[in-house]
Amino acid sequence: MTLAAADLRAFVAAVRKELRTVRRYPTLWLGLVFWPVLLPASYVLMGQAYSGSDPKAIAAFAERSGTVEVAGFVFVGFAMYMWLSTILWGPGTALRTEQMRGTLEAMFLTPTSRLVALFGPPAAALPTLGLTFVVMGAAMWILFGVALPLGGVLRTMVVIAFALPALYAIGTLFAAGVLRFGEIGPIVQLVRGIFVLACGITFPVLMLPGWAQAVAAVLPPTYIVQDIRAMLLRGLGLGDVAGDLAITVGLTGVFAALAIVIFHALERSARRSGMLGRY
Amino acid sequence: MTAAVVATGLVKEFEKGRHTVWQRLRGQPDQRTRFRAVDGIDLRVETGEIFGLLGPNGAGKTTTMKMLSTLLEPTSGTIEVLGIDVARRPREVRARLGAMLSGERSLYWKLTARENLEYFAALYHVPPKGMKERIEKALTAVKLSDRADDYVERYSTGMRQRLALARALLPDPPLVILDEPTVGLDPQSARDLRDRVRDLRAQGRTVLLTTHYMEEADQLCDRVAIIDHGKIVALDSPAALKRTIRAEEIVRLDIGLEGDGAALLERLARVGTVARQERTNGTLAVTVHCRSARELVPAAFDAAQASGATVRHVEVVPVTLEDVFLSLTGRALRE
Repeated sequence: MTLAAADLRAFVAAVRKELRTVRRYPTLWLGLVFWPVLLPASYVLMGQAYSGSDPKAIAAFAERSGTVEVAGFVFVGFAMYMWLSTILWGPGTALRTEQMRGTLEAMFLTPTSRLVALFGPPAAALPTLGLTFVVMGAAMWILFGVALPLGGVLRTMVVIAFALPALYAIGTLFAAGVLRFGEIGPIVQLVRGIFVLACGITFPVLMLPGWAQAVAAVLPPTYIVQDIRAMLLRGLGLGDVAGDLAITVGLTGVFAALAIVIFHALERSARRSGMLGRY
Repeated sequence: MTAAVVATGLVKEFEKGRHTVWQRLRGQPDQRTRFRAVDGIDLRVETGEIFGLLGPNGAGKTTTMKMLSTLLEPTSGTIEVLGIDVARRPREVRARLGAMLSGERSLYWKLTARENLEYFAALYHVPPKGMKERIEKALTAVKLSDRADDYVERYSTGMRQRLALARALLPDPPLVILDEPTVGLDPQSARDLRDRVRDLRAQGRTVLLTTHYMEEADQLCDRVAIIDHGKIVALDSPAALKRTIRAEEIVRLDIGLEGDGAALLERLARVGTVARQERTNGTLAVTVHCRSARELVPAAFDAAQASGATVRHVEVVPVTLEDVFLSLTGRALRE
């Protein structure tokens, strides 16, 4: 068995271990049904309370967002928010959980690649996340009459495939912080807030001041959220967003290089300071 | 034959104190100091032996183990584990090393023992063919086969420690390192775990363990390094270490007295070596090394009577590693 094959087996084992653990807390699954529906629905209802179905308001919204589907815009934004949260903070959360539990050192005593510890446990969240998307899609259709086209959903998968490396690279930066500093929750919250504001999660990026739009332009989630909305709500094809995908790939290279250098530096620093075993 | 572990001039320094962001912003000087948790250790563990690091809490035992197992980077010094340079090829070292460092906390309590071992077997790159047999063997070795499918959260502390040992055996390692393997265990569980450690030696493995229990080091180890303040102060077989105490017997006395007891101690010193004295609430606890308790005890009663003191308790014990530690450092292991 080659080293890569052995690490792949370890990766699968990490995913299975995580799924087994989650399965033993069945009440967690209830959260999958309620919050993904209630939160965005409350924003849509709030919007309707402000402007009703006034054509002028809808036209103003369409001018800024490119779609007349207010409910679709908000639900897709929230779905992206949940997805980004899971992917971006997944590696850091995985390491922090192991650190708090006391199992991180045991993992680091094995010859397996660090990639297993970083990306195995978050990968286990992907099926759950998929289920959340199904629930949100069903809620959007049943409550607000917005049905997502199958073609758009399939094209979205392609955008997601392009987006994953960039998001995991950013997630690795946070995970490196966990190794060196332990608790980085407040920093994560701060960056999460910046991403929500800057990347057009709940409102169009055009609503931001010029300098904030410039910041948004170097954050991969901006392009990802924008392109997924374009696939699902505006019926655009992959060719229409090819430029955005190219930028995403470029940013992936930058963030991945940063992640590799910083993770190695902070892991070494943790080995010097003894932070691996402390929390 | 290659030694299992060779450490040379091993030093580990940590920073003591804090230099907070607020202090930095205010331009306050960095007042952190550096202290040496491990201070120039030279160690050679021979293949096939049980080698113990004995010392009190904070002596540097765990720090040494973490450096040997690649979890900590030494400030200076070199380590070779099974002939492999730890600094240059850490992954190869980890593949050949079974380590049990943080005991029961290092397991997944919401998984069963078997699920824990399946997971770690994959992390240790145990080939899929034969993985089940390897897991069964590890479970049998620690006598947990009958509870293998119970959640770890339902285990006793001793069972969790044994499971942690089973995990360390998964890579079929020639070297097993165990950090305080019996700490927190009841006597029966501790005895049980020690038997498992002896089994490891019988299988031809090398075992390096830390402990602050002198009986454990005495009963289990072929050789013991006594460590204090990050330095090895003595290294030999338990029997040889005990022979360094020039006494056949140890007498422990509790004496009730009013004054400083100087005259009494002087008289005791004529018939033995006063290794330790501690005064608490009008009681002087004295440990005396002597050739014969038959000679010392009557002399102690005479000395007490002459000083107006009362002997409240007498205990005659054989020489232990505790006495060796005491004679080397002037302190008891538990202090």
